[in-house]
Amino acid sequence: MTNTAQKLDTIPLVDSGYWSSVTEAIRTEAERLLSSGEVTAVIGYRAGRRSGTALPAIATSPEQARELVFSPGCVNNLALYLTKAKKDVAKKGKVAIVAKGCDLKALAGLMGESQLKREELVIIGVACAGVYGASADRSLPLSEETIARKCRECTVHAPEGVDLTAGSVPALPQLSPEEAEELARLEAMTPRERWAFWTEHFSRCVRCMACRQVCPFCYCEQCYCDRNRPQGVETSPRPAGNTAWHIVRGMHLAGRCAGCAECERACPMDIPLNLLNRKMAQELKELYGHEAGIAPKEKGPLAEYREDDDQSFIK
Amino acid sequence: MSRIGVFVCHCGENISRTVDVEKVAAAAARLSGVAYATDYKYMCSDPGQGLLKKAVAEHRLDGIVVAACSPRMHEKTFRNAAKSAGLNPFLCEMANIREHCSWVHEDREEATEKAISIVTMLVERVKKNRKLVPITVPITKRSLVIGGGIAGIQAALDIADAGHEVVLVEREPSIGGHMAQLSETFPTLDCSQCIMTPKMVDVANHPNIRLYTYSEIENVEGYIGNFQVTVRKKARSVDMDKCTGCGVCTAKCPQKKIPNSFDRDLGMRPAIYVPFPQAVPNTPVIDRANCTYFKTGKCGVCQKVCGPGAVDYEQQDELVVEPVGAIVVATGFELYDIGPKPAGSPYEGYGEFGYGTIPDVIDGLTFERLASASGPTGGKIVRPSDGKEPKQVVFIQCVGSRAREKGISYCSKICCMYTAKHTMLYHHKVHDGQAYVFFMDARTPGKNYDEFWRRSIEEEEAVYIRGMVSRLYQKGDKVVVMGSDVLVGVQVEIEADLVVLATAVQARTGADSLAQKLGISYDKYNFYSEAHAKLKPVECATAGIYLAGACQGPKDIPDTVSQASAAAAKVMTLFAKAELEREPIVAKVNERNCVACFYCKKVCPYGAVEEKEIRDRNGNLIRVVAYVNPGVCGGCGTCQATCPSKSVELDGYTDEQVIAMIDAL
Repeated sequence: MTNTAQKLDTIPLVDSGYWSSVTEAIRTEAERLLSSGEVTAVIGYRAGRRSGTALPAIATSPEQARELVFSPGCVNNLALYLTKAKKDVAKKGKVAIVAKGCDLKALAGLMGESQLKREELVIIGVACAGVYGASADRSLPLSEETIARKCRECTVHAPEGVDLTAGSVPALPQLSPEEAEELARLEAMTPRERWAFWTEHFSRCVRCMACRQVCPFCYCEQCYCDRNRPQGVETSPRPAGNTAWHIVRGMHLAGRCAGCAECERACPMDIPLNLLNRKMAQELKELYGHEAGIAPKEKGPLAEYREDDDQSFIK
Repeated sequence: MSRIGVFVCHCGENISRTVDVEKVAAAAARLSGVAYATDYKYMCSDPGQGLLKKAVAEHRLDGIVVAACSPRMHEKTFRNAAKSAGLNPFLCEMANIREHCSWVHEDREEATEKAISIVTMLVERVKKNRKLVPITVPITKRSLVIGGGIAGIQAALDIADAGHEVVLVEREPSIGGHMAQLSETFPTLDCSQCIMTPKMVDVANHPNIRLYTYSEIENVEGYIGNFQVTVRKKARSVDMDKCTGCGVCTAKCPQKKIPNSFDRDLGMRPAIYVPFPQAVPNTPVIDRANCTYFKTGKCGVCQKVCGPGAVDYEQQDELVVEPVGAIVVATGFELYDIGPKPAGSPYEGYGEFGYGTIPDVIDGLTFERLASASGPTGGKIVRPSDGKEPKQVVFIQCVGSRAREKGISYCSKICCMYTAKHTMLYHHKVHDGQAYVFFMDARTPGKNYDEFWRRSIEEEEAVYIRGMVSRLYQKGDKVVVMGSDVLVGVQVEIEADLVVLATAVQARTGADSLAQKLGISYDKYNFYSEAHAKLKPVECATAGIYLAGACQGPKDIPDTVSQASAAAAKVMTLFAKAELEREPIVAKVNERNCVACFYCKKVCPYGAVEEKEIRDRNGNLIRVVAYVNPGVCGGCGTCQATCPSKSVELDGYTDEQVIAMIDAL
């Protein structure tokens, strides 16, 4: 690698003033909402212990609101905190949430599934430039080298349908779509090669269920895959059960997944889970013209029947 | 420990030919929980059922598996037998080793293995079956009839005469259908109009019939006994209550050059029109696509001349919801398009016959309009090209029908007879004319049918040539027909003045989309499927929906009328009951696990899922869950397949049962 190439990779995508302006906008709005009593809590991020990191935080007082931040370390999908899996948050009363484009897609999905009501929520949308990838060196600024793979193909930098937009969308360079290329590479494989690719990945799975716990759409209080009477999926980490688990999850997310790639980020075994989700999303786009978007839909493509639906598979 | 009885049927030889039934019974007897297993030649017969009842008592059975045909065929039979033996009928299940096994396999050993597997699975399922009690629901004693041809008219009149209300929906501005277009009908040559129009008037005047013409089915919801049908009343642009049918508007309409499709485009009609003089209702409709007022905003003559002020340009389509308990589908047929292959059609056209390019090549229905006293020529048979009387007419049968290479393999059934009729009508009107018929063979099975066909040859001088036609072409003002006479073994060339093609009967365009709205099945030609070819010829597999006429397959008038009356009788049988007993195979929600995503509610085709609030004793809302109304649930299981947390299950098909079945393999 030449020096010039390395330099290009590490050029910051946005200047540092961008992050502080978004942070300031979030703080001001959160403070206003909390001191006026309009909401009882604001779900956002605060700085992590180590530099370049951030943690999900729930601010319940104007003082706490001053601690909220937005940085490339704000990787978590906060929509998770509004699901049934996190009942305590909903009990606090009306809340506000800081949402990046991908979080907004998850919120829209949850609204479509009767889990959230728009009128019971204040959304502070973020004009997001992107966040760090899982293995990024956090001492460096957000650059083509450190940005998360999903952000390279982001289509929702600018939030829509929100109550307030924090910051303005900076000019961003076009980045090469790594994930799409990887997906194309998988598509080009023979079924046997593809099966080998996935069984190799799934064989490493330790069934820690981090992918499930971090997913905003895995909000069932009793997961089907944990049941033992009848047992649908083997629960110990063995290849057959692992494969079954990931296929069941992939199928359950078809037409719902917002593409936040939190499952992939949380996976300690580096299984490229978002590729599975992307593949299902691609199928649904081809078959039904469906794409997970920012606007809630009353019915997902798999819950709806239309006369012009593709029926070529029934023969 | 269960005490299950397994009863293996030979079905004559239907099953025992490929499946070693004794071996199946012996294998079943060894399964855990099976107390008794046997085989018998005809399990559904009286002695067979007796065997089952006796075994229940003798072996104290608490579950039954009958390994025989499809549950569609005999589930009811055996459940009744179980009931009379004192067992809850829903503890009896069918293991289908006929349609799913013996009929589709050849290797006896492998088929026997598969039959044993099927029985093993069903034993596991029955072990976990629960006793269920039938659900009773009220019946809406009104019927919907879709289609106002002779089939729909007959069915509507029969049901209405029995004292039940009927909603008759017709797509065209008038009822009558194809039969109203015919001149005379075989085998008696009585005038179609003379026998048809009185029935049309009866429909219009019947106090029990609500007639919607120029209307279509928009949506169908519900189930047997309780359908909700949305009818789209298309904007007629004429107020039916005000219009007196005086006909001044149609006479004064300046736009008079629109081909009349009722006359197969031979005659012309105005933009505001009734399709034919005997139309019911006799209320005109404005053809908005061709009306000068709708195209340019100028004209308005019909509104000015209308005395009662019935013409209403602002009229909009109107949606009406009709609750009905039963539906008769009588949507009829259309004719094969014999031009070159139409884009998107699965059928090859007949480009070589020059239809559409040679004006004197017409189809049978066009000939009917030429021969009809109420037709565009007043019943005079003339050529479309120059209006001259044709002296040599060639009729070609089986155009499109029985032509596998063209995409249709079935026989259209009516063409042999109507072509024979055409030769007679022609001979009656053109005494010095000569009719030739090219045919493959004559199919005349029907009362007085063969006599009728013989008469066309022996008394009416039609020349029948056995063989096919390869090509038609224009030569001067003649159409040259090149064919072969296979009985003599020579090539034949006839210079004809007019050629009439007996084109195939085909399902209506859009028949498939109506079927999807109704939830009924159809075959590869889009004809609607009956529940059983022999024993349930008018019922659909979907309960409460019945078939009449050519929408099910090609049919002549006598067959259509018979089937329409049969469908009406089925409706009356349904309405004779005070309440409808429904299978208790319904979905139930596990309220502990339900996460209220309401996917079940979105996919339920019956609208059976409701949102239910769970409150504590102080009335505080704890959670919202899904609830399935058992009276409305159709037991399809779509909710079960969709539920992400698997919190809704169908009785008799629980996950536990299905997984036990798979585990047993």
